[in-house]
Amino acid sequence: MHFRIDHAQARGRTLLMAMTSVSALTLGAVCAMAQDVDPQAVVNIGSLYEPQNLDNTAGAGQGINEAFNGNVYEGLFVLTDAGDVEPKLVDSYTTSDDGLVYTFTLKDGVTFHSGDPMTAADVKTSIERVTAEGSASSRKSTLDVIDKIEAPDDKTVVITLKTASISLPYNLSYVWIVNDAAEDISASEDGTGPYMLQEWRRGSALAMVPFDAYWGEAPSNGGVMFQYFTDATAQNNALLTGAVDIITSVQTPDALARFADNPDFTISEGASTTKELLAYNDRVAPFDNVEVRAALSKAVDKQKLLRAVWGDYGTLIGSFVPPTDPWFVDLTDVNAYDPDAAKQMLAEAGYPDGFTFTLDTPNYDPHPIVAQFLQNELAKVGVEVKINIITANEWYTKIYKAHDFQATLQEHVNHRDIVFYGNPDFYWGYNNPEVTRLITQSEAAPDTDTQTDMLRDANEMIAQDAASMWLYLYPQIVVSTSNVTGYPLNGLNSQFFAADITKAD
Amino acid sequence: MDDGVNIAARVGSRKNITLWLGAVLVGVPLLAGLVSFVWTPYALSDMVGGRLETPGWAHWAGTDRLGRDILTQLMVGARVALVVGCGAVAIGAAIGVMCGILAAFATRFADDALAAFFDILIAFPTLLIAMLVVATRQEASLGTAILALGIGLAPIVGRITRILTKQVLGQDYIVAARVCGTSWPAIVLWHIVPNILPFLGVNLALQFGLAVMAEASLSYLGLGAPPPNASWGQMLQEAQGTVYSAPWGAVLPGLALFALVIGVNLLADGLRDRVSSQRGEA
Repeated sequence: MHFRIDHAQARGRTLLMAMTSVSALTLGAVCAMAQDVDPQAVVNIGSLYEPQNLDNTAGAGQGINEAFNGNVYEGLFVLTDAGDVEPKLVDSYTTSDDGLVYTFTLKDGVTFHSGDPMTAADVKTSIERVTAEGSASSRKSTLDVIDKIEAPDDKTVVITLKTASISLPYNLSYVWIVNDAAEDISASEDGTGPYMLQEWRRGSALAMVPFDAYWGEAPSNGGVMFQYFTDATAQNNALLTGAVDIITSVQTPDALARFADNPDFTISEGASTTKELLAYNDRVAPFDNVEVRAALSKAVDKQKLLRAVWGDYGTLIGSFVPPTDPWFVDLTDVNAYDPDAAKQMLAEAGYPDGFTFTLDTPNYDPHPIVAQFLQNELAKVGVEVKINIITANEWYTKIYKAHDFQATLQEHVNHRDIVFYGNPDFYWGYNNPEVTRLITQSEAAPDTDTQTDMLRDANEMIAQDAASMWLYLYPQIVVSTSNVTGYPLNGLNSQFFAADITKAD
Repeated sequence: MDDGVNIAARVGSRKNITLWLGAVLVGVPLLAGLVSFVWTPYALSDMVGGRLETPGWAHWAGTDRLGRDILTQLMVGARVALVVGCGAVAIGAAIGVMCGILAAFATRFADDALAAFFDILIAFPTLLIAMLVVATRQEASLGTAILALGIGLAPIVGRITRILTKQVLGQDYIVAARVCGTSWPAIVLWHIVPNILPFLGVNLALQFGLAVMAEASLSYLGLGAPPPNASWGQMLQEAQGTVYSAPWGAVLPGLALFALVIGVNLLADGLRDRVSSQRGEA
């Protein structure tokens, strides 16, 4: 709740809207308290992301993180729903002065679901599972920086790095600590979390029950069941008919019409990390010119676009950094909507009559409609947009791999992904040596405050350079029946912590 | 005796109803499309209204997510559907009729080869052929869509032309014409084309319906004419996400598509009946 209010303040123009959802939530909580919470109730969660298997290093997809992170498995650290990194299975840790050696002391009394106590050896094998050659973990490269892992005694883990990395605790938050005696975890599990896997029915559901010997606070419900759907309509219908209690993310505002104004349901809006952007190829003319990029940004009314696509939901952030990243700063005022100034800047940059460019547009929602909006807006300042519809596969080969494009539309989903702007070889080709330096050196920062300051500076420079046109931040919308409360709102990195969910009669 | 007359009259009037209904269903979009060249309620891509406004006085068919007038899009969409339908049928007929007549005149071996070739091409879904043609071009455009669909329709037209031509070639008057020393090109022009045209025309009307549907499918997939350019298929695709909160956005282009295609089919049916009854009387 604390975070939500911060968030609302940061949003300025959408303050009123956010406040409404905060009060709706508070109201929801009060209502639920008035009823009797049933600690034995099983919470049914509807999701579209069925895992392929149960091992997050074996290409299981985002669904396994949603179901298992923080529920069945825990890491040394946890990324909270508010975006903070906090110790989980670590009791305390120290860093050497040069930032190269991390020494972790593990929590006492933590046991795996099989009954084995958690030791330093388990932690070492768990990290090595992710960095192993055959690992398909999407996070593998972030741990490349690890030189060696040692377990001098049962309670101590020492990690030596090749270069200093202030993000190590964050990166360790998605490394599951798995019992080293567990043989195959692709169809079973042995973690330390508050829930144990009860049953996995492939193609339909994953059932979890509370783990009696859990080291922390026991869950406030009698278990959770993730029910999987292949399309959003079926999922929404399941919520309407009471087959599920919560759906983890709503993909279109249209679906909400069926739940809004209905006292039986609560709609909650959190902050997602998914950003819709127009990425220029900053290597090619005229987009190698900062003036041109800034002018185009001023020519587009992003508030109007957001309304068109999402109705009353979503946020403007004015940069690539969402409010749940520690280095967030509201940059909506940088190159803000001002079509007259845009025209003048284009003339000054040598394009008094505008120019024409091709916008490679992925063929799925919302990109085509966003492209048409941009075509309209930019036509008003004399810039002609040719829309070229492409498939996701073409996007990957033509744009991401070959960098063969002028401009494109894309949504970027990750948390803390500003680092892409520090890589001149990334598909959009943004190259500001000062930004590259700040982003690279922030990893070697002596503490997280310094890291945050450096990345905030970098973000401001990137925004001033109008490196891309950041259109809006997607909303993260969770809909539940009104007797269910306590679920996470932001769902960062697809996580969905279930332990605090309560269900009233 | 009276009964017989009545039945004939009733059958006749039912044929007329089919014909008239078809004419109306085709006529309305035709008229809307023609009018759209000189007048539309609003400019095509102007965001003149609010988001998803319900149909009312200002916007007879409501607005879409970007606040654009749906009636305007429907009218321009009708134009696109008609242009693509006519263009594709013209290209399909030009290639198909030529190849079909050639096949009918060719040696046994060449005829069999061409017939087999038509059959193989027909086995390919028209849409798939169209997608292949679009893929070989750098950018999707209205012209590409017309060309693609025309090429897709050509083998169907070709096969029918070949069969019709063969039937005509077997007639005594062709033999008579040959005996009189009429040249082959003249026979084609004066005897074959006029005789296959009524049947071919009905079939081309059906192909028109097929082309309109295929164009909508291409646009739905993002392979049709790129925006700014309204197409019913593209409208359907864009309204898909808002089908519960603003059903008119998907229902209206869907209805328009349905009406035009069924209208063309009814019209073709009615024309065929008329042609065959005239033949019968003659």
